[in-house]
Amino acid sequence: MGTKKFLTGLGATATAVKMADVDVITSFPIRPYTGVMMILSQMVANGELDAEFVHADGEHAQLSICHGASAAGARTFTGSSGVGVTYAFETYSPISGGRCPVQMLIADRTLDPPGDFGSEHTDALGCRDQGWIMGWAETPQEVFDNTLIYYRIGEDPRVRLPQFNCHDGYFVSHIPGEVAIPEQSQVDEFLPPYQPVHPLDPQNPVGHGPQIFPDQGPALEAMRHNAMMAAMPVIEEAIDDFGRIFGRKYVPFVEEFMTDDADFAFFINGAHAHTARYAIKHLREKGVKVGLVKIRFIRPWPTDALQENLSKFKAVGVIETNSSFGVARGGGILTAEVCASLYDAAQKPLIASFMGGLGGEPITLNEFFFIAEKLNKIAESGKIEKPVYWLGFEE
Amino acid sequence: MATQKVEKTKLDRIRSLAKAPMDDYYVPGHRTCAGCGPAINYRMVAKAAGKDTIFVGPTGCMYVANTSYLCVPWAVPWIHAQITNGGGIGSGISAAYEARIRKGKYHGTFPNVIVMAGDGGSADIGLQSLSGAMYRNHDLLFIAYDNEAYANTGIQVSPTTPYGARTTFTPPGPVVPEGKKLWPKDLAKLVVGGHPSVKYVATASIGYPIDLMNKVRKALNVEGAAFMHIHAPCPKGWGFPANKTIEIARLAVQTGMWTMWEFENGEYKLNIEPKKLKPVSQYLEVQDRFNHLTTEHKAKIQNFVNQKLATLGIKVPVEAVTA
Repeated sequence: MGTKKFLTGLGATATAVKMADVDVITSFPIRPYTGVMMILSQMVANGELDAEFVHADGEHAQLSICHGASAAGARTFTGSSGVGVTYAFETYSPISGGRCPVQMLIADRTLDPPGDFGSEHTDALGCRDQGWIMGWAETPQEVFDNTLIYYRIGEDPRVRLPQFNCHDGYFVSHIPGEVAIPEQSQVDEFLPPYQPVHPLDPQNPVGHGPQIFPDQGPALEAMRHNAMMAAMPVIEEAIDDFGRIFGRKYVPFVEEFMTDDADFAFFINGAHAHTARYAIKHLREKGVKVGLVKIRFIRPWPTDALQENLSKFKAVGVIETNSSFGVARGGGILTAEVCASLYDAAQKPLIASFMGGLGGEPITLNEFFFIAEKLNKIAESGKIEKPVYWLGFEE
Repeated sequence: MATQKVEKTKLDRIRSLAKAPMDDYYVPGHRTCAGCGPAINYRMVAKAAGKDTIFVGPTGCMYVANTSYLCVPWAVPWIHAQITNGGGIGSGISAAYEARIRKGKYHGTFPNVIVMAGDGGSADIGLQSLSGAMYRNHDLLFIAYDNEAYANTGIQVSPTTPYGARTTFTPPGPVVPEGKKLWPKDLAKLVVGGHPSVKYVATASIGYPIDLMNKVRKALNVEGAAFMHIHAPCPKGWGFPANKTIEIARLAVQTGMWTMWEFENGEYKLNIEPKKLKPVSQYLEVQDRFNHLTTEHKAKIQNFVNQKLATLGIKVPVEAVTA
């Protein structure tokens, strides 16, 4: 059943988009995500994929065209990286507010300045409050799977929200890994054709996005909030169904690795989890009680699952591959949310932030050993010396 | 973009006002000002296009004044676009219907997709989006309804505001006696000049409804992208009585301040060529926005109009300007 191929993250995305029978694709070049559009345009040219491939006049236009197409009932795909993601910022809230389940690949790239192709998550995380489902994949296989899973979640009539399908530029987008490609019939079973609820169709006229007055604001915002919260059980269902049909079983929200009896853990999203696993194997051989907690969805943020997972550790190190200058506690974006998640917990770990991989620099094994050393000290002493460490600048 | 021909009803020519369709798809119940030119335009465009139509409404007067408290005055589908992306949203709707009809996911005829953008949403912040839609030749009609200012936000200058007009961003004063100092963008020429795939471009005016409605129909019958630039006077923004909108619209054409032409099959065609033009001062003097202008300013405008008309091949005598 199915085949196995070596694919990059971008190749895996394109293959999944094709198998999802997407109707409208919008492109604009920016590294590193661009490759997915090169592959998809060739698929369209070869007749392997029947879709309108629209050369948009910029990222803002990519998203605008997807908005119109999704509102008219099409399954849509687009993508970008870095400043391309922020250039389209205006369009994100109208798309989620219009309840259009557009899917956008973000292969992370550092924002300017300076011009830098390397992966950093600030581009995508900067858009985290726009009403889009959001999460990171660690491997090309997870990229392939997430592409299908995200359409399924976003198009669910209980949710109807767009999705940022994120993975790290280069580390995932450009490094090939083995990907199990399922049969088309499996994909069709998991992801039936998109059934729009209120499409723009002269046979049944509707208006999308009329003006309101302030007294109507709370109800509308509550509806979008409720849709995002409704995604929680839908994600669990989709992950279950995915395991049943494809045989790969994911944890819906928070994946753990070697956390049995661990005193402390690395908390991470995205590609650097790969290096973290190696570091943990090494450290475990030396008797260091360390584990990994990987978050699979940033939106909706799995508060309950995190409380359950993180409460058992003495210390947690949040690896921050993003910047949020002046944020609470002076770390990155994730620390603030992790701390908020644990605020109500009866028992909570001590938390430190580790700013790493900025500008797309790899986080090395030695840096993970350094993080472990600091966390070990925190766990043993029960005290935090410093809330934030900048990897490469510390003693 | 079309790779397969899709079924679409051709719209017939409207012979007279009496023979125009009775049905309206832009209906009462909105909050536009008394005598609103863009609202009159909307009614005529919707009437000409008929029920198999989807409107895209970028932010502007025709968004804000039409859609209040979650209500819309359209009996056909409508979607809000940002002021920036009318062309993009329209492109997406058109692309969706291309794909869905071709793939057997939609069973029905290809709709008329009409983007109804103001001058800001077309000539200024929406220009890239308009140009992208025209360049890619999506099957849609982009209309710029031109009331020559950002009127909804309180009459601020736009690229199509005439030289010498007072707006709330171009107030005249001792240092800037003329108010607006720049000459307006010629949007329709910009579309014709830079977009070789576009088969049909026309200017029109709400003062000439039969001409306007038939141009809408021609534009919709074209396969691919079409563009119309429609002059729609604004009583509040320009400073004239609400019952004079049509009169002002006609006066614009009679003085050469607005010209009426079509670009079809690679050629320009003048639709209304007055035998004799009235001086522009007759148009300027009935609007408050020009009431600070001196004789010299008016002469500059007359000169500009004469030159613009010459490029269109209009060489008709202008009555002498009386100071």
